[in-house]
Amino acid sequence: MTSNEFPFDISLTDVSKTYPLGLWKKKEAVRGVSFAVPRGEVVGLLGPNGSGKSTILKMSLGFIRPTAGEILVCGHPPSERQSRAFVGYLPENPRFQKFLSAKEVLFYYGTLCRLEKSELSKRVDELLDLVGLSDARAERIAGFSKGMVQRLAMAQALLSRPRILLFDEPMSGLDPLGRLELRRLIGRIHEEMPEATIFFSSHVLSDVEQLCASVILLSKGELKNFCRIDELLGGRSEAYEVTARGLPAEHSTTWGKRIRRSPLGETWSIEGTDELLAALNDLKTMGAQVVGVFSQRASLEQKLFGKTSVQEARTPEGVLL
Amino acid sequence: MIALRVAWITMRELIFERVFYLLLTFAVLALGFSLLLGQLTYAEQAKITLDFLLAAVEVSMVLFSIFMGIGLFKRELLLGSVAMVLSKPISRSSFLIGKYIGQVAIQFAVMFCMLLVTLAIQSSFHGDSSVLSVIQAVGLIFLEVLVLTAMAYFFAVNAGTITAAIVTLCLFAVGHMRESLVYHYNISISRSWIWPVIMSLIPDLEIFNMKTIASYGYTLDWIQLFWAVVYSFCCAAFFLFIACVCFANKDIAT
Ligand SMILES: Nc1ncnc2c1ncn2[C@@H]1O[C@H](COP(=O)(O)OP(=O)(O)O)[C@@H](O)[C@H]1O
Ligand SMILES: [Mg+2]
Repeated sequence: MTSNEFPFDISLTDVSKTYPLGLWKKKEAVRGVSFAVPRGEVVGLLGPNGSGKSTILKMSLGFIRPTAGEILVCGHPPSERQSRAFVGYLPENPRFQKFLSAKEVLFYYGTLCRLEKSELSKRVDELLDLVGLSDARAERIAGFSKGMVQRLAMAQALLSRPRILLFDEPMSGLDPLGRLELRRLIGRIHEEMPEATIFFSSHVLSDVEQLCASVILLSKGELKNFCRIDELLGGRSEAYEVTARGLPAEHSTTWGKRIRRSPLGETWSIEGTDELLAALNDLKTMGAQVVGVFSQRASLEQKLFGKTSVQEARTPEGVLL
Repeated sequence: MIALRVAWITMRELIFERVFYLLLTFAVLALGFSLLLGQLTYAEQAKITLDFLLAAVEVSMVLFSIFMGIGLFKRELLLGSVAMVLSKPISRSSFLIGKYIGQVAIQFAVMFCMLLVTLAIQSSFHGDSSVLSVIQAVGLIFLEVLVLTAMAYFFAVNAGTITAAIVTLCLFAVGHMRESLVYHYNISISRSWIWPVIMSLIPDLEIFNMKTIASYGYTLDWIQLFWAVVYSFCCAAFFLFIACVCFANKDIAT
């Protein structure tokens, strides 16, 4: 079967990986995972740290070999060199040789992709533009910020216009602005290369939610769930948290329960969209300043990981630690 | 050729590492040494200086082979840039061989300059040393470098940085003592079969050593040189080959 007839871009069948730890001890990082990523979709690989996300991506690239099971990338096993001709990869903590400039890095990786010289220089300009590094093209990597390195690594992954993009925690270690930029960048890549499959890992729910069509849930090396994100969001409860400050000392509310008081202000838990609107109206007439409105994610997380693991960690952003 | 691209980047990395300070040090030392010896008679002076310069070329290049070879390779693994390189449709062998070629090319350039310095200093004496024998001696050291660098890469693939360096250094030492070991084996009573096996795995590096005879102005004939080249290429190819095989089967979990 040629790669074009193969309906899935990445497929894993009963894949396990055990790392040796010293002579006797072993660590089972991935256990019996099977899934297939259909062509042209944006799929998120979601799980807390240490759940085996990076291991799955590295196995798909042939960096490490699964202890058991089979992996196919566009119909080729990752041990074959040509399987990597379909793939662009952004590692978890990309680092480059410091003495090269952004442009030289892209030229180097481009020739490794066997791109023609004339085509390559056009592509390099295009990509530097796309990731917003045109101004820094001649600068040495040594002076780059983490976000710039991340975007350069992203450009590196796109060089050969690959059919599959594997991003390992593309947003990790960036400040909120950097995360936002990168999220937009992934969105733009999806628009410009609609036929490309984007498969990326994350431990941040909100990132996955905003970008992906489907999510794969991993926990402790096992596949917990593989579903479409709209299926998940469909059943979402309408629960909100509203925080406001500057309220008059004497006031009473009818639309929710106050759950905490902090330097930021007072926070209420509110059920239902109508109640939320009423609350906001009320707060306005009382002359209060609304500091934040959050949609409560607990129900979604409960769906994803089951009741037991939700307590593990939760922050307003929905970060699973 | 993909390997040549990797080689080119490796060369730039080495230049960025300021390897040419090595040359500067060498030139300064060489000049200082020959001035220091000024009070000796000409013939003695020429011989001692040549001895010293050739030994300096060898020691610096052996250390370069071992520490730079292992360092460059390990650094790329630890840095993680190897992940992006190997995510391209290239084989791990091209990567390894590319690094090797890049390093050896820089070493060639450095040794060529060292040779020029040595020849310049030599020409200031009127001893009975010959230009050809100095060229031959440095050429043989380069052949030794080819083997040692390949050995360093092999151990770098299979062991930690420090371990690899120590093992390669040991093999370098044993490689130069091989002849006396063989001699002792031949005259000893208890001849275990293990020794010939071990000895056949250790390259005979004494083949590449003509420092002493070069300082007397003797030269090797072309047949001897030819076999030295063949021997060096075979050993280097062997170690590189097994390094590639081992590297291809390793988990890269950076
Ligand atoms: N090279 C390695 N050697 C031993 N154990 C490892 C190695 N890499 C990862 N692990 C272990 O495998 C598990 C999964 O790791 P990883 O795939 O990196 O998780 P994630 O990317 O989801 O954070 C972790 O428990 C980690 O400790
Ligand atoms: Mg990871």
